[in-house]
Amino acid sequence: MDLALQLENVESGYGEVQVLWGISLEVSSGKMTTIIGANGAGKTTTLRTTMGSLRAWGGRVLLHGEDVTRLSPHAKANRGLVLVPEGRQLFPDMSVEENLEMGGYSKRARKRQKQNLERVYELFPRLKERGKQKSSTLSGGEQQMLALGRGLMQEPVVLMIDELSLGLAPVLAQQLFITLKTLREQGLTIVLVEQNVHLALAMSDYTYVLAEGRINIRGESDEVAKMDEVRRAYLGR
Amino acid sequence: MSGILASMIDGLLVGSVYGLAAMGLSLIWGVMNVINLTHGAMIALGMFGMYLLFGLVTTNAYLLLLPVIAAGLVLGIVVYWMAVHWVIGRSELMSLLSTFAVNMMVIGIGTTLFSTSPYNVNFSLPGITIGAYTFTGNHIAAAVSAVVIALALQLFLYRTRPGKAIRAVADNREAAELMGISSTAVLTIAFGIGIALATASGALVSTMFPFTILSGGAYELKSFVVTVLAGLGKPAGALLAGVLLGLLEGALTPFIAVSWIPLIEFGLFVVVLVALPHGIFGRATA
Ligand SMILES: Nc1ncnc2c1ncn2[C@@H]1O[C@H](COP(=O)(O)OP(=O)(O)OP(=O)(O)O)[C@@H](O)[C@H]1O
Ligand SMILES: [Mg+2]
Repeated sequence: MDLALQLENVESGYGEVQVLWGISLEVSSGKMTTIIGANGAGKTTTLRTTMGSLRAWGGRVLLHGEDVTRLSPHAKANRGLVLVPEGRQLFPDMSVEENLEMGGYSKRARKRQKQNLERVYELFPRLKERGKQKSSTLSGGEQQMLALGRGLMQEPVVLMIDELSLGLAPVLAQQLFITLKTLREQGLTIVLVEQNVHLALAMSDYTYVLAEGRINIRGESDEVAKMDEVRRAYLGR
Repeated sequence: MSGILASMIDGLLVGSVYGLAAMGLSLIWGVMNVINLTHGAMIALGMFGMYLLFGLVTTNAYLLLLPVIAAGLVLGIVVYWMAVHWVIGRSELMSLLSTFAVNMMVIGIGTTLFSTSPYNVNFSLPGITIGAYTFTGNHIAAAVSAVVIALALQLFLYRTRPGKAIRAVADNREAAELMGISSTAVLTIAFGIGIALATASGALVSTMFPFTILSGGAYELKSFVVTVLAGLGKPAGALLAGVLLGLLEGALTPFIAVSWIPLIEFGLFVVVLVALPHGIFGRATA
């Protein structure tokens, strides 16, 4: 199996406090992988360390087999590793259009900026209507759409999304999952952190369960969904 | 035309140069949260840069703005890597101290080279006479230059890709990195532009008034007043606030001794800081 992204024993944290205690992940090309876990388990920390926004204390991050552990986030973004971060992290003083334009900043994304913009507007007609508005004046759901749209503008090879459905109406969340599946069928590799564990398990190929900074359980999503432990802890039955 | 009106118009002309200087300070603060205490020294270098260049090639002094700006940009990049890069993301006190250190070095070297005696750039354009009052040609040309440079900066920041990258980094540095923008490159360029604006304003001042190596200090202080008036980190507002400060000076000079002006300006500074912390153009809420 062709691996798009690998984490080998990654450790990291904040200041003196260690949060990740040796995370190993294998993300196959063209698959949707989800990471689930309780609040504070270290999901966001894992994605930020993968991206390089947080320094890895130990271990390695490999992108298509290449060691990128020490690369800065912008260098990784230029290689097609894209993170739609938790809390949206938009450019508040820039318009919706400009936020999307910044998504198309890198050399590789620039080439397909026009097509990507059309696709994003098709997906979120709301964003087109609000094009000239400052992103800070959007509603929470609209901001989430913009964060995702901006991520799609980046022409990702591996798309990591931290909390896809947060703040979105259930119908739209469903629709987004379907869109992601379509993108995956076109070859995009997706790593998803998702609160809606039901949806995540149903839609994804492979699942990692994170608890207290360690990988607890890993497996095909349909297998994981059947495990008693998972059903009790994350599916509430 | 009444004398006070003429004085106010002249104040407006000079004020646009204050505004240009403040734009540099404001841009650097807005992009990297660094209060650049080399500002005054860089204004002084702009003055002497113009003086030296004009000594070499006697031409229209305003044409020499271009090499002064280019040199300012390079100088800014050098200073960024000397004194600023290492303290980015650390406490603001660190960058205050490191830029202050560079300021002292520049002023020290400058004093050795030029002493503290006054210099002037011996160039003057014909003025415009309206009734009993003549507006100095150099004041008009300096104001026009300041406005042109300010507009060029706005166009750059709002219409070009690298300009937008600077705004993105100012807005959210971590997210800009996620977009593939090298924040280090952007900070370097932004600091260079900030210094280029300071040297440009210094060069413009040198065509209006005599100056010493220490003159930058007074304009640095005005820049602080203007930046606070405009609201920190808002370069466009800074130009307007500079013009307002110039107007105020123009309105006051017929009535009071010039030595009182700084006192009044700093009174204003304190009042604005306390009453309108987001500047006169800012919102009441954060
Ligand atoms: N900026 C920070 N500084 C210090 N500690 C942090 C910081 N961010 C997160 N932590 C700590 O790291 C641990 C893991 O946090 P993380 O954000 O990775 O969890 P998460 O799995 O994404 O949770 P959630 O589902 O709530 O988003 C938590 O204990 C948290 O308190
Ligand atoms: Mg999280």
